[in-house]
Amino acid sequence: MSGYLFSRLLQTAVTLFVMSVLVFGGLHMVGNPVDVLLSPTATPAERLEVIKSFGLDRPVWEQYWIFLKNALTGNLGNSFVFNQPALDLILQRMPATLELAAAALLMALVLGIPLGIYAGLKPNGWFAKSIMTFSILGFSLPTFWIGLVMIMVFAVQLGWLPSSGRGDTVDVLGVPVSIFTMDGLAHLALPAFNLALFKISLVIRITRAGVLETMQLDFVRFARAKGLPEKRIVTVHVLKNTLIPLITVIGLELGSLIAFAVVTETIFAWPGMGKLIIDAIAVLDRPVILAYLMITVVMFSLINLAVDILYSVVDPRVRLEGN
Amino acid sequence: MNNPILSVQDLTTSFRVDGQWRDVVRGVNFDIGERETVAVVGESGSGKSVTAMSIMRLLSPGNSRSAGRIEFEGKNLLDMPLDAMQSIRGNRIGMIFQEPMTSLNPVLKIGEQITEVLRQHRGMDGAQAEAEAVRLLDRVRIPSAKQRLNEYPMNFSGGMRQRVVIAIALACSPKLLIADEPTTALDVTIQAQILELIKTLQEEEGMSVLFITHDMGVVAEISDRTVVMFRGDVVETASTAEIFREARHPYSRALLSAVPQLGAMTGTDRPLRFPRVDMSSGEIQSPPATADTVRADAPPVLKVDNLVTRFPVRKGILRRVVGRIHAVEDLSFELRQGETLSLVGESGCGKSTTGRSLIRLEEPAGGAISVAGQDVRGAGHSDLTKIRRDVQMIFQDPFESLNLRIRIGDAIAEPMITHGLATRRNAEAKVTDLLERVGLSGDMISRFPHEFSGGQRQRICIARALSLEPKLIIADESVSALDVSVKAQVINLMLDLQEQYGLGYLFISHDMAVVERISHRVAVMYLGEIVEIGPRASVFENPQHPYTRKLIAAVPIADPSRRQRRLATADEIGSPYRSADFVPPKRHYREVGDGHFVMVDASEVAA
Repeated sequence: MSGYLFSRLLQTAVTLFVMSVLVFGGLHMVGNPVDVLLSPTATPAERLEVIKSFGLDRPVWEQYWIFLKNALTGNLGNSFVFNQPALDLILQRMPATLELAAAALLMALVLGIPLGIYAGLKPNGWFAKSIMTFSILGFSLPTFWIGLVMIMVFAVQLGWLPSSGRGDTVDVLGVPVSIFTMDGLAHLALPAFNLALFKISLVIRITRAGVLETMQLDFVRFARAKGLPEKRIVTVHVLKNTLIPLITVIGLELGSLIAFAVVTETIFAWPGMGKLIIDAIAVLDRPVILAYLMITVVMFSLINLAVDILYSVVDPRVRLEGN
Repeated sequence: MNNPILSVQDLTTSFRVDGQWRDVVRGVNFDIGERETVAVVGESGSGKSVTAMSIMRLLSPGNSRSAGRIEFEGKNLLDMPLDAMQSIRGNRIGMIFQEPMTSLNPVLKIGEQITEVLRQHRGMDGAQAEAEAVRLLDRVRIPSAKQRLNEYPMNFSGGMRQRVVIAIALACSPKLLIADEPTTALDVTIQAQILELIKTLQEEEGMSVLFITHDMGVVAEISDRTVVMFRGDVVETASTAEIFREARHPYSRALLSAVPQLGAMTGTDRPLRFPRVDMSSGEIQSPPATADTVRADAPPVLKVDNLVTRFPVRKGILRRVVGRIHAVEDLSFELRQGETLSLVGESGCGKSTTGRSLIRLEEPAGGAISVAGQDVRGAGHSDLTKIRRDVQMIFQDPFESLNLRIRIGDAIAEPMITHGLATRRNAEAKVTDLLERVGLSGDMISRFPHEFSGGQRQRICIARALSLEPKLIIADESVSALDVSVKAQVINLMLDLQEQYGLGYLFISHDMAVVERISHRVAVMYLGEIVEIGPRASVFENPQHPYTRKLIAAVPIADPSRRQRRLATADEIGSPYRSADFVPPKRHYREVGDGHFVMVDASEVAA
């Protein structure tokens, strides 16, 4: 197990390094942040001053070397725009995004798994067929369009839920959290459901496929021959086997939920990381973009690690070993 | 019979196929008395398993229906509500299935899978159920039962898993045990143990057993009465002794004559074809004598010296080799043209790896192999291609060894075209000829594999192997997956072809009775080594090595009058895994007869 953790850590470090080189190199090929940030009326002296203060006068390799040295001490550079450490900026926005992603994930599981099981057990019933039709819609309708329709219906016409922003927050261990206030929950509902819709469809389809497949297996027939009631067969014997593929996909999807909630955050003006990165790209705020992508890599690695560990908990045949 | 435990009356089960109801079991009648063992025997598609599933009502309700009456303890199971049926399943009637590897849920602990039955039917709480589970595992002779409750099925071998399954089936002391091919997937020594266990437990519990099997040997060993099924109908029901002595129905007789019986070949040297039985009259034609095909005068077509194949086991971050599977260890043998040498042994003994190593499908780690005088291990790419032309393989599963999307004509022609033995133009004529030689018809050339039965597919594989005019065919469990009567036909075909072409066969099999029928010489393998090798008659009539004896003794004898009891042991087959620094000891063989060698301990050599 320790060998496994060590090798995973090594993998993450290598990924981080490769990612930083690619992003650093890539960012230097597109545009010049000074042109974007400085007003056209700035004098050449002012311009030189800014270039120097950002360290853009040095050769690229030297800039990268400085970045790398600082990164190792936990300093990912200051934002060109806010003149604050990029890492702090991102961490400030992170709780909002994590909250949104967690709420969406919870919805996906709570709605997706039972619906998927039902559709797998009675694949030919009318209700199962409606579930599958719904899931196709969930897959194919664009998120932004559904988000806009939801705002139209629930916020504008019915007036039930607010259309934008984050509600009242409460500090829990120094982190602002909105799920403990009614106002916060009301603000969270629409964006979370919007973000969850695609994942619900995904969970339904995977669960259904897993249940359909597992129900055909010998041990289910044997469980019936043991005289177990159908309820126990489904909730214990079948579900635990269906969880295995589900965990893999959920793990990957959770990463993308957090990293790329951009569209939903933009539509609902949710003050999360997605909005920050979009703004940063628009003004070529290199340190923020770089720091954001680094954090994404770390997050993906952590989630994958959690998935692997969960995997070995659910499926005793999986042994964690370094390679 | 006065008071049958189970009475099946006029059972007809149909499946819905493409919207049409089709009978798969028609008008089946039989009774099972108290403490009685009834065997239902038949080949695939005979409806024997469907009968068992109908009794337990395990067939999917939407696509199947059963009519008739199945009386158990005075009630008709077929019109019972589902919850009442659930209190009978696993409680009054226990059931075990063929595949121990898949009968248990891989992600639940063994203990959980046993106790859930106890809690369901016997209303036990957690602690009681656990104590009872330990007792049950003890009863099926699983060592250190208490610790094993917390393990998962993957930690158990096939035989041990089948013991767990039996423990679950017997958890509530059922009146009736339905065993659906419970030993088919097991090795022969393990099969003997499981059969013995079922017999012992049956006596202790006083229960009745319904035993579903295709194996007449097993029938003879275990059952009091036998029901023979053929394509959905019961063709004969009689006491087992009667069936074996004077079967009335032609199919029963055909089935019996196709059963390879260990010891049937005593006193002969050559292989022997199976007798042909006319299915309508039941008349048995004795087989023609086999010609002497062994070319003792020519140099051997295959010569293997000290062959070693090992698989490294790696661990840790640096992937260091911590041990090796000694799959094949210091193997030497020869095979002449027209000769059949059988490699026989149980799963994991290295017999298949040997076959694969011979043409370097696995890379050997040491030793020398020569095919028709050509060195295999030193051969370059083009030489190896030539060698592989001379040595063809036929595998166990005819379903998997043919590509489902390629017409069989193309599948047979492909190797000929690759090796330049035919052009696209004249391939068709050659393929037609080959198909006819293996007993198929030339107009089947453009069909796809799914249009053939298992036996026919194996014939296609044989035709494909023959297309390259090989000197040697490695038949790796080639008849193991086939039904008894089909198996007999394919073996007859192999013997015909041996006579025609002077083929050498390396026949890899776990089935002692088939091996006795087909081989000139036999090598018994255990944990990667040959423990005994010699002429077939000598090895079977005068086995020297303890493992050979154990293997022969474990084979069920298809003769109810020679029933034997064995000790209910729980020996497992050993593991060929050794640590990385293991140096295998030198092997010593003693000649006990003409060309008959047996492995002996070093101490015996010194004495």
